[in-house]
Amino acid sequence: MKAPEQPTKRVDRRTVLRAAVAAAVGVGASRVVAAAAQPGGPAASSAPAAPAGLDWVSPLDQESARVAHLLRRATFGATAAELEQARSDGYARTVERLIETPVAQPAALDGAEGASQTSPLRPQALISWWLDWMLATPTPFAERMTLFWHGHFTSDFRKVTPQSPYLYWQNRTWRTFALADLGTQIHQVTIDPAMLRYLDLGSSTGREPNENYARELMELFTMGPQAYTEDDVKAAAKALAGWREPLTQPMVDALLVRAETRQQTLRRAPTADTVKTGVYERARAYRGPAFAFLGETRVWDTEAILAKILAQDAAAPHIARKVLTAFATPAPSGDYVARAADAYRKSGYDTKTLMREVFLSPEFAAPSSYRALVKTPIEYMVGIAKALGDRRLVRLMVGAGQGMGQTLYDPPNVGGWPENGSWISSSAMLARANFATAAASAAKQPPSSAKAHQTLLDATLSAPTLAALNAAQGETARWAVLFASPEFQLK
Amino acid sequence: MVATLDRLKRRDFLRAGLVFGAGAAGLAAGYAAVPDVFARAVYAGTKSGVTNDRILVMVQLGGGNDGLQTVIPLADAAYRDLRPRLGSAADEALPIGSDLGLNKNLPGLRGLFDQGKVAIVQGVGYPKPSLSHFDSIRVWETADPERRQQDGWLGKTIAASYDSAGHPLVGCACGTTSVPGAMRDLEATLTVIDDERSFKWNGGERMDRAIGALYTGTPGIYGALFDRSIATARDTIAQLATSAAGYVPKAKYSDDARLVYSSKNQLAAALQLAARLIVTGTGVKILHVALSGFDTHYTQQPRHDALLAYLDSALVAFHADLAGYGMSDRVVVATWSEFGRRPRENASAGTDHGTASDVFLIGDGVKGGLYGARPSLAKLDPSGNSGYEVDFRSVYQEILQSHLGIDPREVLPATFDRLPVFA
Repeated sequence: MKAPEQPTKRVDRRTVLRAAVAAAVGVGASRVVAAAAQPGGPAASSAPAAPAGLDWVSPLDQESARVAHLLRRATFGATAAELEQARSDGYARTVERLIETPVAQPAALDGAEGASQTSPLRPQALISWWLDWMLATPTPFAERMTLFWHGHFTSDFRKVTPQSPYLYWQNRTWRTFALADLGTQIHQVTIDPAMLRYLDLGSSTGREPNENYARELMELFTMGPQAYTEDDVKAAAKALAGWREPLTQPMVDALLVRAETRQQTLRRAPTADTVKTGVYERARAYRGPAFAFLGETRVWDTEAILAKILAQDAAAPHIARKVLTAFATPAPSGDYVARAADAYRKSGYDTKTLMREVFLSPEFAAPSSYRALVKTPIEYMVGIAKALGDRRLVRLMVGAGQGMGQTLYDPPNVGGWPENGSWISSSAMLARANFATAAASAAKQPPSSAKAHQTLLDATLSAPTLAALNAAQGETARWAVLFASPEFQLK
Repeated sequence: MVATLDRLKRRDFLRAGLVFGAGAAGLAAGYAAVPDVFARAVYAGTKSGVTNDRILVMVQLGGGNDGLQTVIPLADAAYRDLRPRLGSAADEALPIGSDLGLNKNLPGLRGLFDQGKVAIVQGVGYPKPSLSHFDSIRVWETADPERRQQDGWLGKTIAASYDSAGHPLVGCACGTTSVPGAMRDLEATLTVIDDERSFKWNGGERMDRAIGALYTGTPGIYGALFDRSIATARDTIAQLATSAAGYVPKAKYSDDARLVYSSKNQLAAALQLAARLIVTGTGVKILHVALSGFDTHYTQQPRHDALLAYLDSALVAFHADLAGYGMSDRVVVATWSEFGRRPRENASAGTDHGTASDVFLIGDGVKGGLYGARPSLAKLDPSGNSGYEVDFRSVYQEILQSHLGIDPREVLPATFDRLPVFA
């Protein structure tokens, strides 16, 4: 930046900012801290710090604020244009549009279908392909749900390995079924090639069942830990066995090449499968007498096991609680969970019905829900790149999530990522602030930040944030402060 | 020095703010009172207690470590019967005592065991064990098999017995980005250092001040958590900056790149950071590090063997480093894992979730040898798992009482059998 220009610019912008804040005060004085009413004073030093132990004052009594609140939670944050469109549509129509617009798939990732032992798919390529689509997608709600299911029905590239297209397929499958019913979803999840690898169902047999998938299917994916016995785990493991991972032609070719270079003779020449799901082999399945599962004795197969799980009372509340914790409030009441679960179950576990119930519930817009959730690192980074309008920031994002605790396709364990307060630590907050600075500096031609505190932060600022915004010199510094602020960490 | 002054001022202000925080002045400024339990996440000044120089390092073996492949029952025929493939590990085991052997990839630990510096507590578990990773992790983290407690036992220990208000580095998780459950306690100040090389603000001191100002009296249910995390990050940076010069590792820490990739933890790097924090006098007392990848449901042998080799080299380097600084007498390393594994191997040449397993305690102050007893492989429960011989809280109790010099009743709800593992 050229030095002589700076003072003039800064004063102008600061004036604009103050005027904007003053206007917001006129609209709803209670939402803005007292310091905002003194636009003439030297900003940083005179702003009184807010006493600790107090809450944000919610602006959610106004529809325009509710729309912004919805977009922060149901998508990755809105651009100014998206926000304007949604506000003109109104809250209810925006909910319907988000939920009912058919899911858009990204363009194919070059080289992904051909991934094999000799031509592995780099995790970084898979990560940046998805991050880029989070920024570009015309259906950001479906994309946010795809990320939710990625943390719920989770898999990681360390165990699945990059030597197949499995994780790439899984990402597309989760997106295709992001708004489908739970029955369809868990069928797809059970026979998903990456999942067959990740939780070992692909190597389980009816004679010697591997319990890994059966347990997590019930404990994590559907019913929660108290709804079944260890005998049910053994029974489900027996009944689910029989699936194996599919092979693509490039994977077969790589196997043949490896056998040749090692001068091995293969017992049976591998052949490519035509499906992108698990392949069922009767010979590997359980063939024996009927046995009991969840209190019922019969001959079980995969579909019967999944249907039996969905017939239990535990599944709907388990999923509903997880959805509410991610989208509505960090500690949903039993009553709130029960209502959402009831609507979900009655609709045949329809994800759209569940999400509509969440977004239209009084709790979603209650004062206590305002800034009650912590953005995940992915939401945080994508929100920053959207605000700066720069898709090339994906390059910065690919490696930056790790320090904040979230790398795509790499959850800490089979439980996926924890929510909300778990994202806050000295190390993670340091990484967030550093990303804020780096992204603001790296953005080419960032848009004006003059109205950002309104479009992104509802003009509801703590005194320190207001003071820091006023004191920041230049667009880059102001964007960095805004992104590093506590307000922007929340949704 | 500057950072310390800033912090004290900020804390003093916050304490004062709390007194009148929910009053008229606060509301007039545009805030409402925080309604629920989160408000208790205040900056409680913890009482000063412990003044000794003892240090604890907990090493989590995430996923459920297979005790039967770690400390191998050489003379038990049932072991070979239950594990036709995995059982061959007995052939190469490193004998300790008459009928037990350590995994062949634990030569360093065997060396320390022979020097009387390793206590192996066998058959450690708890009643009515859960085979869920998450339930059982929570049991171990909160020291509560009933699963009613929220706070972690290490967090409770810090809050109850150390003056952490002035020393955020009393508790430190190394090599992770989040607070481990065992350390979680809203009244404990602790820091998390993923990688000390990147633990600094982009933008240096100016950024440090700006961020510190930005997170001052933050409203909302996460306000105190945010402010404390930022304050702790600033203190940690200041602390790392002053201690940077004083440490040269006196042992070779090597990371197995292939393994780090598959287990996603760099245990050796985390332990080297722990050693640095210890020898440079940062005041650190309780540390937590982790190595994951022990959920070996399939082709277990090569994976588990590699994990143990990595564990062995990291633990041995850590001990040698501390010994080189003359500090290995005040540090105890203890391993923990949510459960052991099923005695019978599965079709994938792996093992499913089990129950009791072994705990290793390592240090010059440890009275080396074998403790507890191996649960019988002849009497398995209906899920195919063994019983337990030692309640894991006996181990915690002994660490608190005999090593850290803390009254265990501050942390544990009851008294457990003594375990004479400390000299």
